[in-house]
Amino acid sequence: MTAHAQDPYRIGRGGGADSTTGRGEGGPASKRTTVGYGFWIYLLSDIILFSGFFAAYAVLARQTAGGPSSHDLFGQERVAIETAALLLSSFTCGLAGVAAEKRKLVPALAWLLATGVLGAVFLGLELIEFAEMIGMGAGPQRSAFLSAFFGLVGLHGLHIAVGLLWLGTMMAQLWVKGFRPQVLRRLMCFTLFWHALDIVWVGIFTMVYLMGVAP
Amino acid sequence: MLGKLSWSAIPFSQPIPLIAAGGVGLALFAVLGWITVKGHWPYLWKEWITSADHKRIGVMYVLLGLVMLLRGFVDAIMMRTQQASAIGHAQGYLPPEHYDQIFSAHGTIMIFFGAMPVIIGLMNFVVPLQLGVRDVAFPTLNSTSFWLTAAGALLVNMSLVIGEFARTGWLPYAPLSETTYSPGVGVDYYVWAIQISGVGTLMSGINLVTTILKLRAPGMGYLRMPMFCWTALGANMLIVAAFPILTATLAMLTLDRYLGFHFFTNEAGGNMMMFVNLIWAWGHPEVYILILPAFGIFSEIFSTFSSKPLFGYRSMVAATLFIVVVSFTVWLHHFFTMGAGGDVNAAFGIATSIIAVGTGVKIYNWLFTMVGGRLRFPTPMLWSLAFMMTFVIGGMTGVLLAVPPADFMLHNSMFLVAHFHNVINSGVVFGAFAGITYWFPKAFGFRLDEYWGKMAFCLTLAGFLIVFGALYVLGLEGMTRRLQHIDFTEWAPWLYVSVAGIGVMILGVASQIVQIVVSIRNREALRDETGDPWDGRSLEWATSSPPPAFNFAVLPKVHGEEPYWTIKRQAIESQGLADEPPYEAIEMPRNSATGVVTAFFATLIGFSMIWMIWWLAALGFVGAYATFVVFAWRDEEEKEIPAEEVARIDRARRAARSKWLEENREQPA
Amino acid sequence: MSERDIDPADTAPGDEAAEGEAFAGGIASYAVGLGLAALLTAAAFAIVNLPLVWRPAIPMALVVLAIAQMGVHLVFFLHVSSGPDNTNNALALAFGTLVVLLLIGGSVWILGHLDHAMMR
Repeated sequence: MTAHAQDPYRIGRGGGADSTTGRGEGGPASKRTTVGYGFWIYLLSDIILFSGFFAAYAVLARQTAGGPSSHDLFGQERVAIETAALLLSSFTCGLAGVAAEKRKLVPALAWLLATGVLGAVFLGLELIEFAEMIGMGAGPQRSAFLSAFFGLVGLHGLHIAVGLLWLGTMMAQLWVKGFRPQVLRRLMCFTLFWHALDIVWVGIFTMVYLMGVAP
Repeated sequence: MLGKLSWSAIPFSQPIPLIAAGGVGLALFAVLGWITVKGHWPYLWKEWITSADHKRIGVMYVLLGLVMLLRGFVDAIMMRTQQASAIGHAQGYLPPEHYDQIFSAHGTIMIFFGAMPVIIGLMNFVVPLQLGVRDVAFPTLNSTSFWLTAAGALLVNMSLVIGEFARTGWLPYAPLSETTYSPGVGVDYYVWAIQISGVGTLMSGINLVTTILKLRAPGMGYLRMPMFCWTALGANMLIVAAFPILTATLAMLTLDRYLGFHFFTNEAGGNMMMFVNLIWAWGHPEVYILILPAFGIFSEIFSTFSSKPLFGYRSMVAATLFIVVVSFTVWLHHFFTMGAGGDVNAAFGIATSIIAVGTGVKIYNWLFTMVGGRLRFPTPMLWSLAFMMTFVIGGMTGVLLAVPPADFMLHNSMFLVAHFHNVINSGVVFGAFAGITYWFPKAFGFRLDEYWGKMAFCLTLAGFLIVFGALYVLGLEGMTRRLQHIDFTEWAPWLYVSVAGIGVMILGVASQIVQIVVSIRNREALRDETGDPWDGRSLEWATSSPPPAFNFAVLPKVHGEEPYWTIKRQAIESQGLADEPPYEAIEMPRNSATGVVTAFFATLIGFSMIWMIWWLAALGFVGAYATFVVFAWRDEEEKEIPAEEVARIDRARRAARSKWLEENREQPA
Repeated sequence: MSERDIDPADTAPGDEAAEGEAFAGGIASYAVGLGLAALLTAAAFAIVNLPLVWRPAIPMALVVLAIAQMGVHLVFFLHVSSGPDNTNNALALAFGTLVVLLLIGGSVWILGHLDHAMMR
């Protein structure tokens, strides 16, 4: 090791000292950490997917092509209920995670069910809003502004729908197989997914709805 | 019932694609028939198609990439010969609508289905071995990634026979790609092929980032990872951050085309430049996704064949991460001429010049790695040296293009075409060939033939310089890209030169094929007994060639940089291997058909969406969901390799090493 | 459960820190998070409807509240912290945030200039 320290070719390198930087020098991480981290990375990519649609909305929001604008279309009551439903579902989802940590099957399933119901309420309200807008001639084909609106909000709704499908599948699996390590890991991933969707919704209700109706 | 699909979709009137597709189809059926007759299906299914082994998946990726590179090369030959045969009154042999499909397919195939699979395949194969672990973080996901990429490649090639491919260039700029101007299925083939393979690429990126950050041998801190792992980390971070932008952009284009949205249309307030903006916000990081792993390959090769540690390791790491971040701030240089104005162009022009600094650091480090080393020049080293020479030229023409006023003159000219081939070809393709020859013995247990390797190298390099040298000149003479017919006869000589160049390149490609055939026939003479054919320095050379399924019988303990070099010096100095470790049973991931079945349904979804066969698409989604549930429901994820088996395999490796030590006793320590 | 205690220097995203933290743990964490998030949401709606803030500053105020609420979600629901066990998670988040900001900000800037130049 001392010979290395004087080796001119090792200039700018770590030297011979047995000190390492960085995490995980104790060998491969546990499966739970690995799975959680992988899903975390996926979530970041998903947020970037959303940011593409956010960018499109920011650029196209004023291109109404003579059609209705955000002031004409958006009411606040429905959005407030949607926001409340999604925030509460994030809370119940967290509680389901806590119950699962303590291996309590019935409370975990109950909180997951509550999450699903709240998510379905959110999705139903959003679909009613879409139907009403299309009915009054403010569908996505009307203008670039409405295309960007339906694209962004619809993408979020699609995520919620996929989340509900996942939730149902996972609840069935939890019911049949109990608290296996794989199921617990998937539950952790689902919690992350659901919280992340709530964060995206914060961006949507701020940028689309509130800024859209702000005086 | 069948949407837009009818017999008229098959281009009976166009002989060239039909004959080409017929040839490919015949070859395919011949191979499939041969496999069936020889009864290889069970072996292929068990050992390859459903394999979750990162080494097998890596090899399949590289194979797919090489076949697709060949397919894209045929397109290139057609483009060069068409241009040379359509000057003045001559019309050439390709009608415009067909020529447009060819240049679109050439770019799409070369980037998405040629370069990407080869690079991802090499990362898949090498990274876990270099990190000293047994597999990637998510083995079944890895298999799914590969098969989705293959599904995308299949869709692109299907467009040869059924319908048509896009005529919009390799990035389908709106509004040309909107239904108003491209009513056919060509753009839809592009969109669905890229979306499906893009999902695969994204999952592969997530997988490798997680592997590198969470799964490393004990003691392998960040600053002890080999350079290739660092550049792979950078490239995969870029995949994770950039590919969603591509997905979003193409999803918007799909909504425009299928549901009449107005993201990028001319009417109703759509903004076509938004498409160009978003696609290049993915497109520029994509360039670095391809080149960073190649930089890693060159770093490994320069260090190994200079018999020295890599010079300036930490500055190399810093330069890599610098490139990762800055690559997200330069995308506007692809459309300086859009008209955003001076402020914007200046900011992105400066950022573009700055990013060249990171690459400059690397070039100097490679040069200093060679200074004072004991140099050897086998084929991988030759590719690396040629890369360094030609890449500097490409980099300098790039800096020239980064100056907005100069770009206004050179935008969309053949100069630009020559520039990006100069960097991608000499960076990524040479890097891929260098990496393949370097790690081939690790994958298959025998080296590639040196004579034919050097022959292929010389011919490819010469052909490459002739073709793109001529294109540089043509660009400076004012020739624009994508011309199906050339009106100026003054350009003729240089177009003929480039055809001559591509003739030389054809010989180079032929030499590569000969090289593989000759190497397989002489494999006993080229056998790599010890698992360390190049006197390597990183952990992949510590195991046998080809490595056992579990890579390492016992996870190596890392006490510094270049862990394998340390182990090897100790063994030579003490004239013996370390004591035999206690062997334990090893848990390995089970095979799974999830990947290939998912890809089947993805192909079904893509095909039926292209032809608007809605019920079939719905069926595909249901099938994909069912596959997912079946996978989630399985009880056993891993199979166990018993300790005796592990011991037997590792003792064979140790015996080969001891024999080598015995034979090389007189070597100075 | 036992899986989690293996490596105190490395926590999965969403998991609470290995040594039970009083700041953000268990049901209490979710309750505090819910309260704060509800408060911030209510504030955002109030700003739009009540004459509390100088009109031209409303968008900026909304952005500030949204960022604050995202922070609340990250800390109390997703358990992201600045602790050493969370370095990788936080770094990945920082990288993702950087790309999001570059993409949205860059697009708005570039196409804003274009619209200006085109007199749209």
